[in-house]
Amino acid sequence: MTSVSMKNVQKSFGKNHVLKGVSFETQESEIFGLLGPSGSGKTTIINILTKQLGVDDGECYVSVGSNEIGLMLEHDGLFARLSCADNLHVFREIYGMPRKNVDEVLKKVGLYEAKKTGADKLSKGMRQRLVIARAILHKPKILFLDEPTSALDPVTARGIYKLIHELRDGGSTIFLTTHNMEEATNLCDRVVMLHDGKIIEQGNPKEICERYNAIKTMHDLESVFIQLTGGGLK
Amino acid sequence: MRSFKAIFKKQLKDTIKNPAILIQFIIFPIIAFVINHLVTNMYGVTEEALANMPNQVTMQAGIFAGMGLIMVPMGIIAEDMDKKSLRFLTMAGVKPMSYLLGISGVILVAALCSSLAFTVIGGFTGMDFWIFLAAMMSGVVASIVLGSTFGLLAGNQQAASALSFPAAVIIGFGPMIAQFSDDVARVMHVVYTQHFNVIADYLNFGVSDAPLWHSFAIMWGNVAVLLVLFALVFRRKGIVG
Repeated sequence: MTSVSMKNVQKSFGKNHVLKGVSFETQESEIFGLLGPSGSGKTTIINILTKQLGVDDGECYVSVGSNEIGLMLEHDGLFARLSCADNLHVFREIYGMPRKNVDEVLKKVGLYEAKKTGADKLSKGMRQRLVIARAILHKPKILFLDEPTSALDPVTARGIYKLIHELRDGGSTIFLTTHNMEEATNLCDRVVMLHDGKIIEQGNPKEICERYNAIKTMHDLESVFIQLTGGGLK
Repeated sequence: MRSFKAIFKKQLKDTIKNPAILIQFIIFPIIAFVINHLVTNMYGVTEEALANMPNQVTMQAGIFAGMGLIMVPMGIIAEDMDKKSLRFLTMAGVKPMSYLLGISGVILVAALCSSLAFTVIGGFTGMDFWIFLAAMMSGVVASIVLGSTFGLLAGNQQAASALSFPAAVIIGFGPMIAQFSDDVARVMHVVYTQHFNVIADYLNFGVSDAPLWHSFAIMWGNVAVLLVLFALVFRRKGIVG
């Protein structure tokens, strides 16, 4: 069943035409990756799907209401002076969840020991995990993750990959953006490659690699992207 | 109601941990206490001279209600917008009104505690106690609405500071300047801080040019006008940031 879809979506900011007829759809319980370099329109798509932005033309669809969506956006939006647990309790109360959910989710992201630590005292990786904890606190049906492992060390990133797989296995649809092609290859069930506001390729990452013979050397979506666009990702 | 409770608790914890906000509720009663103590214990001052002096406590209370409290909601809202926390709250289903009432509720409770401190330091008892408290809370409500409006207008902490200071100084110190200029007095006649001073003068000296209800009516008229202004800004700018 379709979880999220866009049909021929156009979006401009002034003279800057950011999305030029973007169409795709994601299915339930899949990890869907939106790939592209900085400025390709990934965050704009997330902002549109989460109703922070409107579209100029085209249609978009999200199968669930806002209280069944989990978000991890560009800005963490944490309450800096509140502890990890208190940050989560604010949202637990808004969603009407039991208190024990906070401890459970803190254990899941490995922050239980730091539950009384202020958000402003956390390392970048710990903050990222707290943001994920907040995003999954209410067991959302769809989870939007904007660059979930950017600037994280490999060990923390692996922990987050594991968590994302667990959430998918639990029935959630994961919609993530990244410019890390290795991450996309290992993590995503399906990807869409975005370049200059247009979709240039989509499908299963390994199948895309095979299609472009990149698999002969390695599972390398980046070389496919370079072959298609003539440019790098960063 | 769930959202209101969540925001109220969040703001209560945050205020306790935020010295920049917390100090606003503490410093004015402390200054009032110190100045009151110094004036009443001044060497050589007579009982008659004391009776003719303006009450230092009401002066500080006026500055607190008219100036300090404009900056508090503005700072809170601007910070939540700036750090995108407000975006996550609204996307979790918090209605803007629940957010604003939750924030204002904490400020109101904290301001009530400060106001009670002022009444104790000022030695108000009986009917005077209630009149003073009612005047304080009328000023507090007007300042919260005005501060929230500025918070929406500013959108970020830097702009909030730039907006807040001149506005708070004009509104807070306007009644003092009005004592030296008829033109300023005419303008200030419709501003709530001026009428807080009128009520304070009545409590200090037992005289007033107009009945007290007149001043209370103008203060609550200010609240009504400020609410309309707030609604207009809210419709135009929204709260997400």
